[in-house]
Amino acid sequence: MADLTIALAGNPNAGKSTIFNALTGLRQHTGNWPGKTVELKAGTRTIDGVSIQFVDLPGTYSLAAYSPDEIVARDFIVKEHPNAVICVMDSTNLERNLYLGVQLLEMGVPMVIALNMVDQALARGIEVDFGQLSRLLGNAPVVPTSASRGEGIDRLLKVTIQTIKDVKEAGNGPAYNCHCEKPAAFQVNYGKEIEAAIGQLSSSAEAQQLPLNGTCSRWLALKLLEGEDDVVEEVSAMPGGLTVIDKAHSEIKRLESIYGDDVDIITADHRYGTVSGISRQVCRQATPDHKTLTERIDRLTTHRLIGLPIFMLIMYLVFRIVIDVSTPYLDWVDSLINGPVASGLSSILMALGASEWLHSLVIDGIVAGVGGILTFVPGLIALFLFLAILEDSGYMARAAFVMDRFMRYIGLHGKSVIPLMLGFGCAVPAVYATRTIANHRNRLLTALLIPFMSCSARLPVYVVFALAFFGTRASTVIWLLYVLGVVFAILIGFIFSRTVLKPDENSAFVLELPPYRRPTMKSLAIHTWDNTREFIKNAGTVILAISIILWFLLNLPWGVTTQEESYFGQVSTAITPALEPAGFGSYETSGALITGLIAKELVVSTLSQVYTGTEVEGVTPTTTEAPSPSFSDQVASIVVGFLQATADAARSLISLIPGVNLLDEEGPIEDTSLSQALQTRFSPLSAFAFLIFVLLYIPCMATIGAIKEEFGGRWAASAAIYQTALAWLAAVLVFQGGRLLGFG
Amino acid sequence: MKRSHIIDMTKPMPLSHLKPGQRATILRVGGHRPVRRRFLEMGLVRGETIFVKRVAPLGDPVEYVVKGYNLSLRRADAGRILVQPIHEEQSG
Repeated sequence: MADLTIALAGNPNAGKSTIFNALTGLRQHTGNWPGKTVELKAGTRTIDGVSIQFVDLPGTYSLAAYSPDEIVARDFIVKEHPNAVICVMDSTNLERNLYLGVQLLEMGVPMVIALNMVDQALARGIEVDFGQLSRLLGNAPVVPTSASRGEGIDRLLKVTIQTIKDVKEAGNGPAYNCHCEKPAAFQVNYGKEIEAAIGQLSSSAEAQQLPLNGTCSRWLALKLLEGEDDVVEEVSAMPGGLTVIDKAHSEIKRLESIYGDDVDIITADHRYGTVSGISRQVCRQATPDHKTLTERIDRLTTHRLIGLPIFMLIMYLVFRIVIDVSTPYLDWVDSLINGPVASGLSSILMALGASEWLHSLVIDGIVAGVGGILTFVPGLIALFLFLAILEDSGYMARAAFVMDRFMRYIGLHGKSVIPLMLGFGCAVPAVYATRTIANHRNRLLTALLIPFMSCSARLPVYVVFALAFFGTRASTVIWLLYVLGVVFAILIGFIFSRTVLKPDENSAFVLELPPYRRPTMKSLAIHTWDNTREFIKNAGTVILAISIILWFLLNLPWGVTTQEESYFGQVSTAITPALEPAGFGSYETSGALITGLIAKELVVSTLSQVYTGTEVEGVTPTTTEAPSPSFSDQVASIVVGFLQATADAARSLISLIPGVNLLDEEGPIEDTSLSQALQTRFSPLSAFAFLIFVLLYIPCMATIGAIKEEFGGRWAASAAIYQTALAWLAAVLVFQGGRLLGFG
Repeated sequence: MKRSHIIDMTKPMPLSHLKPGQRATILRVGGHRPVRRRFLEMGLVRGETIFVKRVAPLGDPVEYVVKGYNLSLRRADAGRILVQPIHEEQSG
């Protein structure tokens, strides 16, 4: 447990994550917090012997508890009592950012303001009077920063620690300075009538001795008047709470008859009034806006005619680059693992005198299983990097703007584009990313459609099959699978939004279009590394375990001569007849599909283990090395292979430029041992039907788990069932239809 | 030359009726409570000046500038905001 906890709050796009990264570096982890099963990013750092935990709260515009993100941020402050909150504000947009800051101050939590992007504000002719801002906010410290350049971070840290010390010395309780005799240093004046009601309620709360646990009674009274459901619920459950609730109801009635409007609208109006006043006093705008870079880029990316084609082109380029540029590295890693690594481990085991079964377990089980997956790391690094660039640069918001009208056909809005696009990386974070969507029904539908976006774990399956069966047209086939996924999402979205999930009239689509920013290397590195690490961790734990279990299932009961007699064969054979009409009714493929439930990439490692782990008749394994080369020869071949892969990648990158093609003279793609094995088992048509099935069938356990956590078991179960039914139907249609047309 | 179907720009109108390049003052924010509150939080408050920037390629949503930042609203939502157009000598 850390000695101090400091939370970071702020508007989306205010640079909060950049400051968080600058404060914590790579010492980040996701932590679970008691109460709600919510994962927040945290990072711990020790300064002068004091360990400090930084917690990155979700970016929000307000703490009004309308979206799950806002509730998470607010609850963390109310329930976890951080020692201080750093509120990150965008100086180019101070007024709207202050709205959140003021709400934090009203909660009575010690706050330090990181006035971010001061350099950009200056460039736009905006000058902020820091001293005056601090004075108007009840002497909350203000530290100017420029997170992207790393300026002001050290001072921010020092000032925050000093603030915590000051609060402790003043003896105002652990975290709050307003649950005490004297009023908070900063208050919004809500006008005579509302102030009277607040006074009534907070003295009633104190008279009833509600267990406030350090929560400020003025804040509680305000939230009750604003009618925030979860606060009302919590107070009702307290002893004596109902008396306070009754009082709140009569006060709300009185106020609404005076103002003729909802209380929360009136208070929000007052709060904005206060914020506007502060902003006017501290900001000086010298010159009016001139044509900025953002303006010029937006003219293209949101252009009436070319805006949509640009979106399509960017998506296409990302996936082309990911596939074409990573393929050379994929071959390199493959030869590295099946060559030096496998033969090295093999000779070590021999030298140790390991028994034959242990040798087989390590080489055919672990190396084939885990190694088969690690070959895709280069491709995934590229994919995660591009998604991070799109997000950090601000393009994702434009994608939402451009695609909103289209998303309406499937009953969603533009914001769903972002989680759906993240789904191309991994469905699990994508499901969590739906939390930025305020409306529950929109969130649910988005989450249910995410599995149709081909996640990175499915890419290995596509690549292996496409390279084995479609040769030079492999990337077209892969592209087609991605498109098919999107088409299915549209279809299902269309059906769902007209049947079980009808749109809600009560939500508005309000989207900020932040200025374009150059993503910082550090943040790109952290995003990419986080996701890649998660994948490798998965390969190292879940996939390792599955590989071992699978090896045993393949080799038990002891003494089996063919796989079909093994436990694995028996289970898989049982479900095989169901898959017969789709063209892949063999026990190996059904077994691979079963392990794919745990993680889709396991489809490849299972097949690789089943087909190449044991001798496949008529196929000479390419991996068996000639008389073992010397160590230095191996090192040299690894280095040469890497340089060769880099050169190949560079060539395919240049070849993406229209009119340039450096790939023509390339020889036939060399088959890996797995692809040779696959070619003897599948026809191109049944391979394609199999890929369709892999695209559509039940998402992996982790995704089902995420859907269950966010929306409940019923929705998770229905997602699993309807997707598998759909997958079966589509695969059978493709296979039988293809046969009728003479492709079989 | 004036045409009869041109909207009278001197009277209050829904925000969705404005064209790119036009400017207006917000008079009233309507809609259901959560929607209104979201509008308020994003700075769409009474008395604020709003500028229509551009329309998305598919005709909806529309990008606006308010309080010095850019945000986009669907036409249906913008229709809940009543504005008074500001006349400028040279529009554009």
